[in-house]
Amino acid sequence: MKRGISLFLAAGLGIAVAIVIVFGDRIGGSGLTTVRGVIGSEKQAFFADPQVRKALERQGLKVDVDPAGSRQIATSVDLGRYDFAFPSSSPAADRIQKDRGITTKYAPFSSPMAIATFQPIVDVLAKAGVVAAGRGGVRTFDVRRYLDLVDKGTRWDQLAGNTAYPVRKNVLVSTTDPRSSNSAAMYLAIAAYAANGGEVVQGAEAEARVLPLLSRLFLDQGYTENTTEGPFEDYLSIGMGKTPLVCVYEAQFVHRAVRGDIKPGMVLTYPSPTVLSKHTLVPLNANGDKVGRLLTSDAGLQRLAARYGFRTAQPDQFAQVAAEQQVPVAADLIDVADPPSYETLERLLRAVEKNYG
Amino acid sequence: MTQTRGDLVVVRTRRTRGTGARAWAGPLRAVAAAVTAAVLLLAAACQGGDDGKGDAPGVLRVLAGSELADLGPILAQAERDTGVRVQMDYAGTLDGVQRILEGKVDRRYDAIWFSSNRYLSLHPGAQSRLGTAVKTMSSPVVLGVRASVASRLGWDTKRPTWSDIAEAAAERKFTYGMTNPAASNSGFSALVAVAAALSGDGAALQTGTVDEIAPRLESFFTGQILTAGSSGWLSDSYVRRVTQGAAAGPQVDGLVNYESVLLSLNESRRLPERLTLVHPADGVISADYPLTSLADASGDARERHRVLTDYLRRPDVQRRIMTQVHRRPVNPQVRPEARFAEMPPELPFPARLDAVDALIGAYFDRIRRPARTAYVLDVSGSMKGDRLAGLKAALTALTGADASLAGRFQRFHNREEVTLIPFSDAPRETRSFVIPEADPTAELARVRSYTQSLGVGGNTAVYSSVQRAYEVLGRGDDDRFTSIVLMSDGENNRGIALVDFRSWLAAQPAEVRRVPVFPVLFGEAATGEMGELASLTGGRTFDARSQSLEAVFKEIRGYQ
Repeated sequence: MKRGISLFLAAGLGIAVAIVIVFGDRIGGSGLTTVRGVIGSEKQAFFADPQVRKALERQGLKVDVDPAGSRQIATSVDLGRYDFAFPSSSPAADRIQKDRGITTKYAPFSSPMAIATFQPIVDVLAKAGVVAAGRGGVRTFDVRRYLDLVDKGTRWDQLAGNTAYPVRKNVLVSTTDPRSSNSAAMYLAIAAYAANGGEVVQGAEAEARVLPLLSRLFLDQGYTENTTEGPFEDYLSIGMGKTPLVCVYEAQFVHRAVRGDIKPGMVLTYPSPTVLSKHTLVPLNANGDKVGRLLTSDAGLQRLAARYGFRTAQPDQFAQVAAEQQVPVAADLIDVADPPSYETLERLLRAVEKNYG
Repeated sequence: MTQTRGDLVVVRTRRTRGTGARAWAGPLRAVAAAVTAAVLLLAAACQGGDDGKGDAPGVLRVLAGSELADLGPILAQAERDTGVRVQMDYAGTLDGVQRILEGKVDRRYDAIWFSSNRYLSLHPGAQSRLGTAVKTMSSPVVLGVRASVASRLGWDTKRPTWSDIAEAAAERKFTYGMTNPAASNSGFSALVAVAAALSGDGAALQTGTVDEIAPRLESFFTGQILTAGSSGWLSDSYVRRVTQGAAAGPQVDGLVNYESVLLSLNESRRLPERLTLVHPADGVISADYPLTSLADASGDARERHRVLTDYLRRPDVQRRIMTQVHRRPVNPQVRPEARFAEMPPELPFPARLDAVDALIGAYFDRIRRPARTAYVLDVSGSMKGDRLAGLKAALTALTGADASLAGRFQRFHNREEVTLIPFSDAPRETRSFVIPEADPTAELARVRSYTQSLGVGGNTAVYSSVQRAYEVLGRGDDDRFTSIVLMSDGENNRGIALVDFRSWLAAQPAEVRRVPVFPVLFGEAATGEMGELASLTGGRTFDARSQSLEAVFKEIRGYQ
């Protein structure tokens, strides 16, 4: 009996191996082209989604991605082993294009910067005049008033009527590391605009004036992480104790709502003013270019992107997802500031960087 | 061989499924899949073998902090579930950072896994060596306080602040053990947390602040009467102290350590009295255990890293990590069990390297109890040549000659008392050095030149020389961490025997008996007797047969 099984096995194996040898390559290998990309971490979940993978596979592509901070992608990541770079902002993409002499780019998604917080914090900051309720339950975060608190080094336990969060830490929005991450650079752009009296920072004099306060926004926080998922995950899993306020992309919050990770009491606020982060893909070769084209043109992929909270070319897709998840989102972003020029932003970031020693 | 072929077939079959509906492949694919599946089922049934279930089977080589050693069963299960086998080597806090910065991990490891990447990331150039960091779990550094003491101090009902704890320590109402911040991450995190909290400022610690808060830190560290180079050994020493009473040392009221270590200690049934977990009200520093791929890891290794981190963050695995190794989950879909107390605020970790380094430096040179250390050093004939050279190099490295990160914080510290007892036929002349409070350079140079003058010859009187060390140290000094290092390359063949030493020690007063001996296994030293001597005195052995004496002497610094 045993011998019979062995014979059958041997024969079966032989056939299987033969099939694999003859057809394996076509079935498994050449059917799909593997494309490698380095992306801003907030898009990692999108690329890992089985439906997204399937949609790309239908086009013959298997896309493998590594997450990294967007400014890292533009500066320190070895792009030699990737087919595309997909940072979360146009300035980072511009830099890659400039450094590598590439003229193509795709901007399939965008997302405004937002500040995620908790209801008790909203109540405390409402008393301090920082957070206010707007149309349709959308909450705004007054950056100018917030900066006044930071300027004075105000601690949570010094805010009037604060019994909900009497913590001996400075009132500070948690961000990523401005030396490596795009969301921190976006946050800096917002703060620079507000600190400059509601005008885009321009010129050495204005830069010098806003710089000390901008540096404190980051250095007083202490150590910060490189990717926006880092502090946002702390917000989601550890909560108010570690991150009472965290700077995120609106998309991250909406997507986590889709996934059921947003618990009661977690609140999305919009900084006033905010800036728009344009997720921009820079192709490094023809395969990368194909990914860029698909993300911009494929209706299925655009619909999936909306489920990840991104605003795409079709605004109603995003609005529908937000409505389903009951996240009050700003349908029309009114108070959007222009970021400073690429050069100004880089100069400000480098000046902040110097204070890290 | 069949096994290997099996893996191959499995992988192919998977890919087939992944290609989706391609017209040409349909029927043929189905046949191939059916045949291979049947064959594999049978093959597995006949051989009972493991066919490597993962998408990326293979080994992931990880340099890790020793506090992750308790993850063994979780990782064994991970291998069964994903096919990724994790091979861990362990390194201390600063040693690990040093190795990464020097590029010594490149191509030897695929990933690093420490309690936190924070200190590492402060170093210029660190970031470019790291790939993807994925937080896997979390645990704050908190206090474990004997239940009766917690209740006496009222800490069981109302969370004290770090200032309250510092006050109790200064008034000798509370004593504790903590690991060495240079060697172990729990001590390092605790030091940063206390400093952040005692600074009274709501912003991250600045370099200039360290001088200002040093007196407050001194109060807090008055209470530290037990130190250790690793969390595991700290727990063991604590258990020894509380079970053996005065013979093992002055009473210790608690430990500063990871919440996870304290929970597992309570669960171990090794404690006569439970530890009440005290989460300081003004905040903690938490480990978040980022499993981090290295920038130069191969594509396969990065894939294994992705598979493993996805797995570790799965809700069911996070729950297992929570119940088995007492870490808090990082996946928001998993709710922490009720036994995890509400998280206090997280204190800021400094943004600047110079601030952290100033703090570590101040801890060793000014703040903590100074050490009192005797080195009993074999200079018998067999130490001639390379061995003596190795010994000289090891001691010289501790005199500030090693400019590396670890070397800087492992040298003989200001205020430390160092006694060298070379021996052969009998203990030779004893030399003591006291490193001054300020400007240690001249005294360190004297240690160095004395070390260089050592010559060899004669036999090996191990235990008579250890006995001499105890006599020199005398009744000890509770204000110092006192210990003896024994380095011998051969068996005892002169003077008293171990059995004589044992009865001599038994007749000594408790204050003498509690001084631990750290024997170094070297050359032809008698391994069994060395182990016996270590456990007799509450020390532990260190192995210099597979690594240099210099590396071992540095490791021992964590325990002194």
